[in-house]
Amino acid sequence: MFGLEERALVSPREMEERSRLLASRGLAVPGNESVILGFFEEERLVATGSLVGNILQGIAVDRELEGEGVAATVTSALLKKAMETGRRQLFLYSKPDEAKRFEALGFTLLATATVERTGLGASLLEWGAEGIEKWSAAIAMKAEDGPEKSGVAVVNCNPFTLGHYRLLEYAAARTPRLYVLVVEEDRSLFPFEARFRLVEEGVSGLKNVVALRGGPYVISSATFPTYFSRMESGEGEQVTELYAALDIELFGRYVAPALRATDRFVGTEPYCPVTSIYNRMMKERLPKGGEGWPPVRVHEMPRFEIYGLPVSASRVRALIREGGLENVRPLVPESTWKWLVSKEARPVIEKIRSSESRH
Amino acid sequence: MNGVKNSVAGSLESSDVLVTVGPAEGEENKLDVESIVLKQFGARIRSVAEEVVVASGVRGAAVRIQDRGALECTLRARLETALERALKA
Repeated sequence: MFGLEERALVSPREMEERSRLLASRGLAVPGNESVILGFFEEERLVATGSLVGNILQGIAVDRELEGEGVAATVTSALLKKAMETGRRQLFLYSKPDEAKRFEALGFTLLATATVERTGLGASLLEWGAEGIEKWSAAIAMKAEDGPEKSGVAVVNCNPFTLGHYRLLEYAAARTPRLYVLVVEEDRSLFPFEARFRLVEEGVSGLKNVVALRGGPYVISSATFPTYFSRMESGEGEQVTELYAALDIELFGRYVAPALRATDRFVGTEPYCPVTSIYNRMMKERLPKGGEGWPPVRVHEMPRFEIYGLPVSASRVRALIREGGLENVRPLVPESTWKWLVSKEARPVIEKIRSSESRH
Repeated sequence: MNGVKNSVAGSLESSDVLVTVGPAEGEENKLDVESIVLKQFGARIRSVAEEVVVASGVRGAAVRIQDRGALECTLRARLETALERALKA
């Protein structure tokens, strides 16, 4: 495309212009952008696009320039920006009716979800042709020797508590094999490697349980960005429902078939509004199945309680924040406790005490 | 790592091609070609790409070509630039 000037948008006036352009195409301002590009025709903003981490989002072109290949210009510029920072795995969000355009530019459609009640819809695409296939083939390999049917629990375990243990024990008794997918995104206070190890050690006594890395398609910043940020009320709830629906669609379409999973296990969520929305959507959608994927039963287990209080990781973190590490001891298995008092845990505990993060 | 860095050249605009280069698994070069004219020119695109990749001396690179109907000279230029960037110290 000739004649369009590309530059990063910074000033409040430019941002204002951009949100008007986005709104005119029925798009919301994504938020948390790391790069925001604008394309100008004689000082008039005619196209925009942004990067939110490794996700291309908020791509809009002025109606007057439609069909002139400007979306390809915007997409190319964003891809370059993303790859310059060394990102290889890139995703893109679009409106469901525009997914085709981006498929034509070399993206692969992963999932489309709509929430009838709010009328919101989104498609998630990934750059390149083999990401999801490679990944599902890799996890299918781990399930190769497994039974015909299995169950799945997706956990963050920030950190692994007796509540998690009880949930997994409950699940393991109800399925021939239980796969525990540990959310891999490293945005929690406990680093992934530590969370994963504590899950592995925690379930080592349960013979039919296998812990797996969650990877990029299970509650990641691509499939479920709002999981990792605080939710604002109102609009935030609707957006969270939409992302939850996308994550559930991916689970039904790719994850469950790869693991031959027929059942999914969740714990009731007393504290976190995002997780309780996720659980609700899961109960609504997984048992129905989707286009091209079979139903998955959902089992919700009440949180394990001690002295009338649910045992959850957020409570463990709150207790650490308040200072009394010793108070955490009754809530976690021996393996987690050993880690918490080890040298390795010290920086994490410092971080929890000085942080307000929900995760 | 094999010293191949992530690099990009070109664009997805009509009559252009986007070439991305990154480290591959292992020492072999890996070449992926997508094109809107794959049936007609896929083999030619592939042979030009192989020639430019070999000439660059790169090893262990994953080269991805996303062709939007570029002329051969464009394809060569984009490939050379992307590879040069990928190998720059």
